[in-house]
Amino acid sequence: MNQQTTAPASLEAPQIRIDTLPHAKNLKWPMLWYLLVGELYSMLPWKKTAWTCAGFPVELLWGFDIFPLHPENMATVAAAQKQSQRLIEHAEGMGYSRDLCSYCKTNFGAVDTGIKTTLGGIAKPDIITCTNTICDTHWKWFQIQAEKLKVPIFVFDCPKIVSGTDERTIEGYINYMVEQFYDFFEFVKKHTGKELNIERLNRACEESERMSVLWREIYEYRKCVPSPYSSAETSASFFPLVVLPGKKVGIKFFEKIKADIRKRAESGRGTLSGGAREKYRLLFEGIPFWYKMRFMYDLAKYSAVVTYEPYTFSFAPPKPVGKDYTETLRDVARIMMDLPYSYNLEKRIQYFEQAVKDYKIDGVILHENLSCRPSSTGMIDLKNAIQEDLHVPVLIIQCDMNDPRAYSEAQMKTRIESFIEVMEKNRKG
Amino acid sequence: MKKIAYFDSSHDMPEEIIMAAGFVPYKIFGDVHASNAPADQYLQAFFCPAARSFLTEALTRSSEWEGIIVAQGCNATNRHYDVWKRHVSTPFLHWFNGPIKDDSMALRFMKTELWRLIDTLNRQYKVSITDDMIAAASRESNEVKKKLQKLSALRSEKDITNREYLTVLIKSMTLPKKDAVAAIDELIGRAEKGGPIPKNKIKVLLTGSDVTYPELMDQIDESGFRVVRDDLSVGERYYATLIPEDGNPVDALARYYLSIPKPATKVGLRSRIEYLERALSDSGLDTVISQNIKFCEPFAYDSVLVNGELKDKGIRILHLEREFTPGPDHQLMNRLAAFSEML
Repeated sequence: MNQQTTAPASLEAPQIRIDTLPHAKNLKWPMLWYLLVGELYSMLPWKKTAWTCAGFPVELLWGFDIFPLHPENMATVAAAQKQSQRLIEHAEGMGYSRDLCSYCKTNFGAVDTGIKTTLGGIAKPDIITCTNTICDTHWKWFQIQAEKLKVPIFVFDCPKIVSGTDERTIEGYINYMVEQFYDFFEFVKKHTGKELNIERLNRACEESERMSVLWREIYEYRKCVPSPYSSAETSASFFPLVVLPGKKVGIKFFEKIKADIRKRAESGRGTLSGGAREKYRLLFEGIPFWYKMRFMYDLAKYSAVVTYEPYTFSFAPPKPVGKDYTETLRDVARIMMDLPYSYNLEKRIQYFEQAVKDYKIDGVILHENLSCRPSSTGMIDLKNAIQEDLHVPVLIIQCDMNDPRAYSEAQMKTRIESFIEVMEKNRKG
Repeated sequence: MKKIAYFDSSHDMPEEIIMAAGFVPYKIFGDVHASNAPADQYLQAFFCPAARSFLTEALTRSSEWEGIIVAQGCNATNRHYDVWKRHVSTPFLHWFNGPIKDDSMALRFMKTELWRLIDTLNRQYKVSITDDMIAAASRESNEVKKKLQKLSALRSEKDITNREYLTVLIKSMTLPKKDAVAAIDELIGRAEKGGPIPKNKIKVLLTGSDVTYPELMDQIDESGFRVVRDDLSVGERYYATLIPEDGNPVDALARYYLSIPKPATKVGLRSRIEYLERALSDSGLDTVISQNIKFCEPFAYDSVLVNGELKDKGIRILHLEREFTPGPDHQLMNRLAAFSEML
């Protein structure tokens, strides 16, 4: 006999939303600045542009007065504009496997179809530069595009600081990196006619550090309970850190939002609307789902707030300031090899566990990204370590940053609701 | 003799240093017949199945080895190293970070890494590796390479099956070198006395991800293709060039490893294409089977551009994405059969 069961009450409270910061809308200024100045540099024959990737010290390019164009960033624009799937499918039609990076395929599709910049397109650069610090994909992708576009390319070979690497070995790695910097300077001069202006480089580093400091200060406020700022907003607002480190337009934006956040924190208000209580503080690891930014907003319906993301924080490492030229290069080299996003597993576990404590985290969500095997490696160990050492529940979600085909609304909702229940049980102990 | 095992996604591990330290270098190939369940506790299913199989082998057999070295290759090597360090029981685990470029800076860095490896082995095993020992190991290594070159020349004419060729390559990377030489000599002797390549076989060059188990080679053979050239690491890349026997032996090793035919894990797409074109032209071949194992990103990235360029030059080419399985993959065999019919 069928037994009628009562459906459990929904965990959602749809009326709870994210209260965005008053100055959140000011993000349009750095974005516009980036797009317009980028267009200008692409058009004027005496100005030069470079494609570059995450993990590359953009300040170096400013030191040459070369404008950095970011294919990855433009891929996220394509996703936000609901263009990524068709571009990815276009690239797959060119022969690229479904298992390859969705940023890369978005870019292949964008270049091949000539989609406009506001939809995620990107201009042909004068040079291409990248590293292998985060993944092989960066340089494989850029190498292919350099061949196709007939643009000179420089790849930084960053040695890997695996678990247990000693300081002496790291110093040897830095020596290799510094040698490559000098080679890179020659490469830039040869292909653009531009020389490094040390003063301009130092200024870029100083301004970049100013921006990073502001971002780190914002993160300090996020430790407050309730958190005045969540990933729903940081996932967009960290944009200037990625593409415009060292530019005043980004600094001004950060100063405005920091003032908003401080005001909120001082008055004890959180980011949830109507004074709703923040019940679950989350850490989200990995690249967001750019085509479904609602995911971060919808967590609010469960009174859950992502208060820390290693991903957005990783773009604000301390920059070398007030150091001589050689020391600056050695510091830049170390930063390039030792980014939080590519920390080795031992360091990653320590880093996450500290963040869980500092930000009073109730649950951790790890994005197992089908497009990013390097960042997904070690995730099972990371999960087990956090659960065993800190007794904080961890959820691994398999999805993709730029390919909407990997996202299932219903499945995601079920998993999040189950996780909310787990956090609730864990809290009751 | 005692073995030191190594995880190498290409031909990046300077096994001569292991030999000079008095050990047999043993390349980890995994086992296509064994379940990957042990590794799957730590690595997700969307990672390279061969790399997962290597971890399974390490988890189950590391007690047979004196230590393990992981050589920088694809992303699986550096990222999985951390997972190996946590879970594989071994008295010695070393990270060898060879460069991905081949310029003068990379050469200096390669030497630094070689010296770091020598120093670490000296301390770990209380040995004293000298230049003479490295030079002797390089000569021994070259002897294997020369024999393989001879075998390779024969396979264009004689009936050496795909399986026989791969099996002897695997032996060259897992057995003591004198045993490897005996195995190659035996195959060469047999081939010289044997008949020519059967007329119904189409001669091809095989490129892409490394083939690490003979069953795939059987499937290619059964579909009517005889591999007579390749640019694989478990293949020509291993023996195409010799280690210089003049000058300082560490410098010679550094020069050798930076000058071997490029895999997709090294910067130098153009150089890889040129090697393939030269191999095809030298052997009078016009047919290529290109393949990558599921989730092998470096070769999957390369395949579109590399195969496109070869096609433009009139080369007939089939690209396959394959699983990691010993069983007959009928989808794959259907595609091979269709390609054979088309030719």
